[in-house]
Amino acid sequence: MKEQTLTEKLLLRKVSEPILSGSEYFRIPIDLVLGHDATIALLIDRFKKAGQHIWDPARCFFAADHFAPPSTPERADILNRYLSFVKEESVPEDLLYRGISHQLLVEDRRCQPGMVICGADSHTVMAGALGCFAAGMGSTDIMAILLTGKVILSIPKSIRVRLTGKMPSCLFGKDIALEIIRRIGEGGALDHALEYHDHTEMGISIDSRFTISNMSVEAGATNGVFVPDETLKHYLERRDASAQGGGLSVGAGFEAIWLQPDAGADYAQHLNINVEEVPPLVALPGNLSRIVPISEVEPRPVQQVFVGSCAGGRVEDLAITARLLRNRRVAPGVRLVVTPASQTVYYQCLRNGIFEVLAEAGALITNSSCGACGGIDKGLIGAGEVCLSTSNRNFRGRMGSPDGLIYLASPLVAAAAAIFGRLVDPRPLLEEAGIHNFHSDPWPSRLGVAGGSL
Amino acid sequence: MIITGNALVMGDNVNTDVLHPSQFFSLDDNKVRSGFMQAASGYEQVGTGDLSGRIILAGDNFGCGSSRETGARVFVLAGVRAIVARSLARIFSSNVRNLGLLAVECPTLPSLTESGFEVEIDLENSTLDIGTEGQRFALKRLDPFWEAVIREGGLMGFLGFNNSQ
Ligand code: SF4
Repeated sequence: MKEQTLTEKLLLRKVSEPILSGSEYFRIPIDLVLGHDATIALLIDRFKKAGQHIWDPARCFFAADHFAPPSTPERADILNRYLSFVKEESVPEDLLYRGISHQLLVEDRRCQPGMVICGADSHTVMAGALGCFAAGMGSTDIMAILLTGKVILSIPKSIRVRLTGKMPSCLFGKDIALEIIRRIGEGGALDHALEYHDHTEMGISIDSRFTISNMSVEAGATNGVFVPDETLKHYLERRDASAQGGGLSVGAGFEAIWLQPDAGADYAQHLNINVEEVPPLVALPGNLSRIVPISEVEPRPVQQVFVGSCAGGRVEDLAITARLLRNRRVAPGVRLVVTPASQTVYYQCLRNGIFEVLAEAGALITNSSCGACGGIDKGLIGAGEVCLSTSNRNFRGRMGSPDGLIYLASPLVAAAAAIFGRLVDPRPLLEEAGIHNFHSDPWPSRLGVAGGSL
Repeated sequence: MIITGNALVMGDNVNTDVLHPSQFFSLDDNKVRSGFMQAASGYEQVGTGDLSGRIILAGDNFGCGSSRETGARVFVLAGVRAIVARSLARIFSSNVRNLGLLAVECPTLPSLTESGFEVEIDLENSTLDIGTEGQRFALKRLDPFWEAVIREGGLMGFLGFNNSQ
């Protein structure tokens, strides 16, 4: 058999014939389907017209994260329709109100390497960090999956991304994701898979990997998969041994399958990135076509800093924010909105002292949900306001007024912006705070549990 | 299949958040419809106006971003007849085709500025004719799967389920 990329392996092991003769599309059985209140609500009426039930409710991974808790009566109605549907179809309810679906997925022992996962949300790609094929899609595709247990997909070619060097303290997953988009362009991975090979000295942290896989879709990729390695094994061992790794005990059919790409696989493109050469980056407002080093950005004032979302609301993100803010205050008049990505992240930060530092510094800490990221609630911006965000999209109007401006950057750049009230190179602050090796000691253990996601 | 219409020209990397801001996410078709293009600079008026019979001609990576299907459905609700782009974002193109609306790529489509000219799409021959000057471009052939989905009026029809939306 021909040598295969990791994505080809993940998909082709499950299929044989194309759906129609001459077609490049296959019908692929799936292991998990992710859904949430907003996008599942869109399909309920049409689903009912099909006159069937969900093919396998145990394989539905359904959260309530967008309108949870709801901020308008209309959204409460949408949420309630969704909750009734979940009940009627006997879908497990243990994930409701637990945080952002994508974060819950990677924290949950139902999600294992080797799986094929589809989700009713574009950032489903994030689970690729666990060595899965994970792709986002619209409600009609998801409805077809709920009825048949299969997805219809073409097999994408892959772009191989090789990461080397040693992660400096000033660098985060967000910077690497932005560096990739800076090199190949927004849409540079359209209809392709991004396949990440982490050959950095200590391995990139799992939290940073989630952000990199998450933002694969911002480059247009179908999926973004990390080649399984020791970092992943270590994470899964801790995760699956912990009581927080999902409420249900997981039965047969959820086993990990460890796959590796073949050495001679055929790649559409090779990208080599030495992380030591990547500076902290910022995406300028509007889209992801203008990504520049923070040192070259004009020091414009910000009215809001948002640390949150499925791309920037994990323990690592909150830990660096807190380490910079310790014994300091958020600049007067600046809103620092901190939204943990999940309840597990919330508990962690509560227990290990991160919240205490953030609260003392003047941060506004919200419940875990999408919040300001999708312009949903708690931290929307008005006309003329500037927001620096650790989320994944800086699109016009994304976080509120179309006349507000969104810059994207790492949590380190965000923390510096919160302290100075403007866009500023965070590296001198790192020096001042004496942080020389953040990635091996993200949160001083004397304050509690060490960093990491769980 | 021949589809004719009046061109509405858009640029590169037009994302679903500007095409349909999340504030207009709703189960109410009227509210969904009223959000069309409300964060796309210069297109706000066009978006809420009469779009029946129009064909979108866009640049690269059209429809990138969110998977919210309201962002695809609004094209159907507005009466847009087809979408042609130099390249299409994967989730968006699947979403519109799944609803029975034609979205097709034309890799050699030049950057256009003025809207309003006549457009003719010939799917059999994979050609796009634009304007009165008789300019013709080759369309990327649709995969037989997508041809079948469009023929059946959407994915549900193709799979043999009730296809009413
Ligand atoms: S946090 Fe933002 S990007 Fe992530 S799922 Fe929620 S709205 Fe989407």
